[in-house]
Amino acid sequence: MITQLFLALVGLSGGFIVGGGIVALITVLDLIPRFVQITKTDKYLLHYQWAVILGAFFSTVFDFFSPGLNLSPVLLGIPGAFMGIFVGFLAAALTEVLNVIPILAKRIQLYEYLQHFIMALAFGKIVGSLFHWLIFLK
Amino acid sequence: MAGPTHAYVKLKGKIQLPPGETVRIRHVAEMVTNSPSEAAIRDTVLHTLCKEDGKRYVVDIIQVIDALQRTQPELLVHNIGPENMIIEVLVPQRNINIVLVVFVWIVLFIGSGLAIMNFHTDVSMLEVHQRIYELVTGQKNMHPFIIQIPYSFGVGAGMILFFNHLFRKRFNDEPSPLELEMFLYQQNVDEYVLMNEAPGAKKK
Repeated sequence: MITQLFLALVGLSGGFIVGGGIVALITVLDLIPRFVQITKTDKYLLHYQWAVILGAFFSTVFDFFSPGLNLSPVLLGIPGAFMGIFVGFLAAALTEVLNVIPILAKRIQLYEYLQHFIMALAFGKIVGSLFHWLIFLK
Repeated sequence: MAGPTHAYVKLKGKIQLPPGETVRIRHVAEMVTNSPSEAAIRDTVLHTLCKEDGKRYVVDIIQVIDALQRTQPELLVHNIGPENMIIEVLVPQRNINIVLVVFVWIVLFIGSGLAIMNFHTDVSMLEVHQRIYELVTGQKNMHPFIIQIPYSFGVGAGMILFFNHLFRKRFNDEPSPLELEMFLYQQNVDEYVLMNEAPGAKKK
């Protein structure tokens, strides 16, 4: 009984820290403000916050307790694309925090080409990711 | 009628002038005055940009006051803005090396691709995809391409969305994070210049 209680405490504590970590990561990278800025939906900020919390909660429950849903694999394309957009956003935010591109463009005086460099990053990500799944792991 | 004449001077933030240009007060400042010789005041010469000035020249409010006192001794000058400003000397655009552009492009393209592969390995993305596939369909699949291919395009779409550029087309008129970052960087450089270069100092 004591052991069970202790394990429950371990689980609860771990959950606290991991949940805090997710929120911290999203906050530090200003992901939600950026989404709000692009879509001009400041009013729904609170809903976005709940989206993050509920998303983390339900995927945990789904992962730990759900039996297979026996759905068609075709449906997975939709969450697949959404996961990709989120990861792309995350990667772009990281690049931006590191402040590499502005300094690079300024240093070599190629400011007019900044857009092309962003496209290089984005296409590199697409090609790299496809390469990883389709060729590298085969 | 014969009251004192005043001039309220506000230095502009930052301007660009071609090399060799004679810098006059109307270039560097906005001004309101009740003096009858307003045009002459505006045309007061401060400095002539020469080669030794390099790429920028710092104008201090003291220079403006000094020049005005010499030409208009009865004029009271009031400074109502920043105390100094930067003149950027427009140097003729050097030719951009297209090879360099292509090189940087390729470095970013390959580097970015490598980074996403490292990231996937780092966070065991494949296992997660396999697990999701199993949870949804009830079957195991070593290569759940149905998730991974849309995912891959999503990554690119997310990045473009973040930087707010879709092939040069804007989603809205707010500055993108990169433009803000460039602005802040430039502002820091300007601030440094104003702090560290004496007004009108000849750059060595």
